[in-house]
Amino acid sequence: MDNSAVRTEGLTKVYKDFWRRKSVSALTNLNLNIERGEIFGLLGPNGSGKTTTVKLLLGLLFPTSGKSWLLGYSSVDLKVKSKIGFLPEESYLYKFLNAEEILDFYGKLFDIPKTERKLRIDKLIHDVGLNPYRKRPLSQYSKGMLRRIGLAQAIINDPDLVILDEPTSGLDPIASREIKDLILDFKEQGKTVILCSHLLADVQNICDRIAILNKGVLQVMGNVRELLSQKDIIEFVVKNLSDNDILEVETFIKSRSGDVLSINHPASTLEELFLAIIQQSK
Amino acid sequence: MILTIAGHTFREVIRKKILHVLIGLGILIIIVSPFIPTTDEPDARVKMMLVVFFQVVVFLCIVGVIFLSATSLPHEIEDRTIYGVLSKPVSRLKIVAGKITGFALLSVLVLIILGLVNVVAIQRIASRLPEEFRSILKARNEFAASRFSIQGKVHHVREGIAWIEGGRTGIALWSFSDLYKKLADKSSLEVEFNLKIDCSRKDVDAIPLVVGIEDAGAGQCKTSILSAKIDEPLTIKIDREIVKKSGTINITAFPMHSMDYIGVTGEDAKLYSVQKGFISNYIKAMGVTFLKFLLIITIAVMGSTYLSAPVSIVSALVVFLCGHILDFVKDFSLVIQRYDVHEHALPPVLKKPNILLVYIEYLIKKPLEWVSVILPDFKRFDSLKFLLKGINISWETVGISVGYTALYAGICLFIASVIFKKREFL
Repeated sequence: MDNSAVRTEGLTKVYKDFWRRKSVSALTNLNLNIERGEIFGLLGPNGSGKTTTVKLLLGLLFPTSGKSWLLGYSSVDLKVKSKIGFLPEESYLYKFLNAEEILDFYGKLFDIPKTERKLRIDKLIHDVGLNPYRKRPLSQYSKGMLRRIGLAQAIINDPDLVILDEPTSGLDPIASREIKDLILDFKEQGKTVILCSHLLADVQNICDRIAILNKGVLQVMGNVRELLSQKDIIEFVVKNLSDNDILEVETFIKSRSGDVLSINHPASTLEELFLAIIQQSK
Repeated sequence: MILTIAGHTFREVIRKKILHVLIGLGILIIIVSPFIPTTDEPDARVKMMLVVFFQVVVFLCIVGVIFLSATSLPHEIEDRTIYGVLSKPVSRLKIVAGKITGFALLSVLVLIILGLVNVVAIQRIASRLPEEFRSILKARNEFAASRFSIQGKVHHVREGIAWIEGGRTGIALWSFSDLYKKLADKSSLEVEFNLKIDCSRKDVDAIPLVVGIEDAGAGQCKTSILSAKIDEPLTIKIDREIVKKSGTINITAFPMHSMDYIGVTGEDAKLYSVQKGFISNYIKAMGVTFLKFLLIITIAVMGSTYLSAPVSIVSALVVFLCGHILDFVKDFSLVIQRYDVHEHALPPVLKKPNILLVYIEYLIKKPLEWVSVILPDFKRFDSLKFLLKGINISWETVGISVGYTALYAGICLFIASVIFKKREFL
C-alpha cells in the first residue's frame, strides 16, 4: 500500500496562449512526497506555483506532463475526492445561503446521510464559533466569519487529507490561533494537512515539513527544524544568571576560539503578547 | 447528486429578484390581456388571452430563463464558487445535468404559476360566452374525409376549388369511414364546414345550405337546412348513435337556391370527435411548452460551459430566434437559387444572373442548409394553434415533441459534458 498522502512525479504545468504557444511555465518537474499524518507547508512568493500545485492535485487544472497521486489514488480519480477537504485561497462561497444551508449542500455532495449530516453541521458550526449566526446569510458575514465557515465546509466529510490555502488570512490573532489549534488537532486525528501560507511564522509553528517553491521550481524540501537549524551556531537559554556570570561564560567561549554573536534576553512573539493581554482583559 | 445540484440551482434562482419581477410581469400581462382591443367576435377575448400568453408571456419567460441559465455557470466560474463543487466527488457531467434539471424545475414552477392564472382567467371570461362560441374550450380530434366526390354537375373549377350551383344541380359528398374504431366511447361528434360561398344576389351575408348526414350502412339520412354565413365556419352536431351502427357516414351539402354557389374541396368538411375538455388540452399545451423551455435551457447551459455570460446569453437568444425562422433560413437559400432555375419568370433585369449573386449563393447555400438542419426547430412546439382551433393535441404529437427534445437535449448534454470536462479553472 502506498503510504504517501500526496505523491507527484515530474508534475509540470505550462500555460499556453490562444495559439497553443507556450506562454508561462507555472510549475516545472515537481516531485513531492507527503507522508500520511504530517502537516506539510507549501511556501513561496506570489506566482511561485503553490496554487497551481493545489489546483493540479484537485483536478481543477490538468498537468502538461507528470502525474500525481492522492491517498494512493490517481488524482483524477473521482473516488479520492470524498476523502479530501479543500479550503480555497479566498472564501468562495454561495453568499445567498446561510451557514446551515451551505454546509448541508456540501454535505449532500459527499452523500452524507441526513441524520449524520445534521449532527456534523451542528458540531462544525459550534466548533468554528458561528452558532449565533447560523441562520444569517453569508452575504452578511465578515471576512473572518467566511473563513471559518469555509474551513467548516472543508472538513464536513471528515477528510483524510485537508488542503488549506491561506487558512488564517483575514482572521484576527485569536481566530488565527484557534485555526492553528484546529490544524494541530487534525494531526492528532491522523489527518494529513497541506498548508499553503504566506505567514511564515504560522508555518514554522505547526508544520512538520515544508517545501519552498519559486518560479514554479521546487527550491527546497525538508523537515522544518532541520532546515532552520544553523549547525555552526549554538544557543544556550539560561535563567537567573548574574552579569558577572554572563561575562565569565563569554570569556570562556572566547578562550575556546568561539565567536559570541549576541547576548540578550529572548523576546516573546507579538502573537503571544497579544493573546496574553486579551486573556488578561477577560 | 444531480438532484442536489438541481435543488441548489433552483434555490439560488428563486431567491433572485429577476424571477419575482418576471412572474409579476407575466401575471400583469395575463390580467391585462382581456382588455386588449380585438375583433367583435364573442370568443375573441379568450383567443387574445391565449395568444398573449403563449406568444408574449411565454416568450418573456423564455428570455428570462435564458438569461438565468446562460449566466449561472459563468458566474460560478467567475466568482470561483465552482471550486467548492469541483473539489467534491461530483462528476462534471452531473454538474451540467444538475444545472439543466434545476432550471427545468424553475420552468415548471413558472409555467404552473402563470398557467394557472391564465387558465383561471380564461375560464372566467369563457363562462360568460354564449354556448355556440365555447368551441374554443373544447378538445376535438380531427378526422379527414376518406373520400370526396361531387355528384351531378360542377358549375366550374377554379384554382382547385369545385364550384357547385344551388338547386340540386350538384352535391358535394364527403365520406368518413372506420369511425367505429377511431372514436372513444364518451366522445360526441360534430362536422365543421369551411366552404367558400358566393351569391349572385346583393347584400347577402348567408345562404341556406342543405346538409345531409347519412348512415352509410343502414342508408338512413337526416337532412337539414342551415344558414351558412360567408367567411365563417359552420359547425353541426351529429348524433353519436349513427356511428355505432356502421362506422361510416356520408355528409352531403349543396346550396338550396339556384342563385347561390359553394366552392368545395376534400378538405372543407372535417369531422371532429369531442372527447375531453379544454383543461386537459391546455395541460398538454403547457407540457409541450415546457419541452421548449427544456431545450433552450440545455442549449444555454451547453453554451455557458465554454462561453462567458454575455456571449452565452446572446448565442442562446440567437439560436432561439433562428429556431423559429428555419423555413426562412431554408427559403433564403432558395431565393437565390430561383434566379437560375426560373429565369423565364423573372423580370428582364434579373434574367442574367449576377456573377456576384452566383458566388454568394455558392458560398452560403450549403452552410445555410446545414444551419437549418443543426438548429433546433422550435416551431414544432407551437401548441397555440391547437388551442385556438379547439383541437385536441394528440399524444402522438406530444410523444414526437418529447422524443425530439430528448434527442436534441441529449446531444447537447453530451457536448456540454465533453467541453466542461476539458475545461480548466485558473
